[in-house]
Amino acid sequence: MQDVKTNKKVIDEGVEAGLAKLTPEKIASVINQVLEKETGARFKAYVQTCMRCGLCSDACSVFLSNDRAPQYSPAAKVKQTILEMINKKGRVSREFLSDAVRIAHTECNVCKRCSMYCPFGIDIAYMMLTVRRIIHKLEITPLYIQDTVNSHAATGNQMWVKQDEWIDTLQWQEEDAREEFEDLRIPLDKDGSDIMYSVIAPEPKFQAGLIYQMATIMHAANVNWTMPSTPGWDNSNMAMYTGDFETSGRIARIHYEAAANLHVKKIVMGECGHAFRSVYDVGNRWVGWTAPPIELIHAIDFYHFLLTTGRIKVKEKYKKSVTLHDPCNISRGRGLHHKAREIVNILCENFIEMTPNKEHNYCCGAGGGVINCGPPWKGTRMVNNKEKSRQLKRTGAQVLIAPCHNCHSGLEDIVEHYELGMEIKFFGDIIFEVMEKTIFEEGN
Amino acid sequence: MNDKILNDKSTWDWQTPEKQIPVKEWEDEFNWVQEPCASPDGESIAAIVNVDDAEFSVCKNGETWEETFEKAWALKFGPDGRLAALTASDEEWTVCVDGECWEGRFDYAWDLKFSPDGSFISAAIQQDSEYGMSVNDTTWETLYKNISGTLLGPLGNSAAVVQVDHMDQADIEAFAAGLFCVAVNGELQSERYVNIESICFDSTEEKTAFSIRRSRLDYSIATNSGPWKSNFQFAWEPCFINHGASIIAPVRQNGKWHLFKDDSDFWNRPFEQLWKPTVHDSTGKIAAVVSETFGRWGICENNTLLNFQCNTMISELFYSDNAELLIALFKDNDLWDLAVIRNGNVTPWGLKADKLWAPVISADTKIAATRMEKNNRYYLVVNGKVYQNDFDMMFEPAISPGSDKILLKAIKNGIYYRQTLSLDKVL
Ligand code: SF4
Ligand code: SF4
Ligand code: SF4
Repeated sequence: MQDVKTNKKVIDEGVEAGLAKLTPEKIASVINQVLEKETGARFKAYVQTCMRCGLCSDACSVFLSNDRAPQYSPAAKVKQTILEMINKKGRVSREFLSDAVRIAHTECNVCKRCSMYCPFGIDIAYMMLTVRRIIHKLEITPLYIQDTVNSHAATGNQMWVKQDEWIDTLQWQEEDAREEFEDLRIPLDKDGSDIMYSVIAPEPKFQAGLIYQMATIMHAANVNWTMPSTPGWDNSNMAMYTGDFETSGRIARIHYEAAANLHVKKIVMGECGHAFRSVYDVGNRWVGWTAPPIELIHAIDFYHFLLTTGRIKVKEKYKKSVTLHDPCNISRGRGLHHKAREIVNILCENFIEMTPNKEHNYCCGAGGGVINCGPPWKGTRMVNNKEKSRQLKRTGAQVLIAPCHNCHSGLEDIVEHYELGMEIKFFGDIIFEVMEKTIFEEGN
Repeated sequence: MNDKILNDKSTWDWQTPEKQIPVKEWEDEFNWVQEPCASPDGESIAAIVNVDDAEFSVCKNGETWEETFEKAWALKFGPDGRLAALTASDEEWTVCVDGECWEGRFDYAWDLKFSPDGSFISAAIQQDSEYGMSVNDTTWETLYKNISGTLLGPLGNSAAVVQVDHMDQADIEAFAAGLFCVAVNGELQSERYVNIESICFDSTEEKTAFSIRRSRLDYSIATNSGPWKSNFQFAWEPCFINHGASIIAPVRQNGKWHLFKDDSDFWNRPFEQLWKPTVHDSTGKIAAVVSETFGRWGICENNTLLNFQCNTMISELFYSDNAELLIALFKDNDLWDLAVIRNGNVTPWGLKADKLWAPVISADTKIAATRMEKNNRYYLVVNGKVYQNDFDMMFEPAISPGSDKILLKAIKNGIYYRQTLSLDKVL
């Protein structure tokens, strides 16, 4: 795999070890099996319809970041990967596959921005996910994201968090959060609660303070809520991004069954974009649920409800200038950008729009499992995020709100690499800072 | 034994029409009171209470356990009426039953379970970063790197998926080689696999069956004596049938789900989805949740599709003790309902509930009773009929041995009510 900027080959041990085991027969049989058995009319239509008109090119921030080099255009990514596999009937080399891994896993965020600009609505992201499915079946998935998927499969969460560590963390956050309210609780497995709150594994692993904040918000809003002590607490799903649909489906099943076992009315999920895509769209469908079987709302929707119904009151608005990054999976994917702006305006004094914004926003550059490919790929990721860094810089804002975990981590890398000097926050951080720490009473 | 007596519903008070225990006043006595639970016979109500800064106890009918704890959670009554919780003192965890703590102390304990008649209590435990289970205060002799999917059988045997080797960070080769086994009572009972899920016991608890992942793409079913030969695209939870002689399991082939028995196609029909197989062994009845068309859910019983469909989910499917009834808890158009199935005839109750629990069924299967929440109020439901009185909260009801009375356990305005309602009053 050649890094075009540095001419250095990126070595990903997982990919290299997998490639070494492949024979031409195996390669062809896996590719043809996926193409023949796992793709349908939609796929064929996309392949046949593309006119190579290039209208999608400027939509892709990876293309813009690489000085419009033609090989980074969305259509070219298809041409260099799946189209070649089709044309060669699966008879492609290891070198070809090595490039296909780089393109599909690290140069496309499956963010779907390009589809909005294609006159035919061709879904490039879906084509790249099909390439990743082939990569999964050939066992040449990048190492770090594969390890994440292994964790999902073994533990039900993405960071090898053991069950006792999870519960212990919640109890520890509960104890600490009694600084805010002396009788605050994080109710575990409370049968018949109205709401099950689910998070992604980086929260208990590295950012337990976010759970503390949410517990404070829930307590102040007087919400009847619970968190499961059992697997199903993690709503994230990297398997969806490596094409391991089987593991992805199991994750969705565990999540919804945890909620059904607790007899809750709805699930509120934390600030994460890809997890929303998984539980709202991808994972649930694979197992046969056309829609979430238990109502599921993203934190933005929930905060909007709390703030507009007076369950959470703002003591004093946030002073620093803020801008907002719209995570693609909840903006393009769900249209939550309007509610997000209403929240910003309730919470903050000085809001500066980012351009482009809302459903036209550029991806954070980390999404679609790209950041999860880990350290070997960080250098190229920073190059591919140059356009995003320009977009952020133009705002001049002091604070960047990013209501998505992946976005957060990716944007942190960008802010550091391009020395943008911005603070990055979740909505939860700001709400916690500006809220009145009093308990809402029904009827008051 | 005390447990047996409490299990015997004929000894319960079915005469006194109503008993009350005020619970709201507990809030004056303690800093705070957590969510209460009620005993099977309805005579007791209990909650974890905060007695002082970082000091917890359990209050049952107004009396607190002698001991206090740094932490306590997972309070529940067992089927035999014993009250258990996971508790921590001096940073050591244990299980505390009716105020008496186990001798075993652990760095952590969770996953508190009662066996169906309440004679066994188990917890998953961690000691010095090693993992296992403890049943009635006897801890597995061998502990492992990690544990998941714990199971406690009616005869007191415990099983779980255990990680048998250390794995370095992001070591995908070690993972692919297989790190997981099934352990029963702490002893390894299977080969190593990449993943293991959904362990079940046969009725003697001498055999286990479970779904396995052999390699990245190959899933199958295995027992303690070895795996099936075939590989599948995926597999869900297996069950024993024929008194442990055979195993059935949903498996995925060519993108469709099939019910397999002992490694061959059993129902010979493909489904979009097939899961939650449920078995009544002595009658040989087998049912499963199925989806024939994407987004529509149904039930297949002994390879016959029942005349029933819903569009959201079927969360529970189970037989009454004598298999005369099959019960499905389901959601249609986003509201919960329950279907009672007798001889293949499906009767939905039409509850449109916001929350609904699986019902209890009388021994003669004439009565099914449960509770639901609708518009933030709780109701008792018997044979599909909603009892008029509403409550703030309700616990699982019970049915008298003669099937003539319903025991209602609920809270309203800070008072816990135990009512014995004659059936004609409810229906
Ligand atoms: S999906 Fe996003 S990252 Fe991928 S090609 Fe399209 S615009 Fe670029
Ligand atoms: S805009 Fe659509 S048709 Fe044109 S090159 Fe891109 S994908 Fe092909
Ligand atoms: S990480 Fe956030 S912005 Fe980035 S792809 Fe996911 S949702 Fe989109």
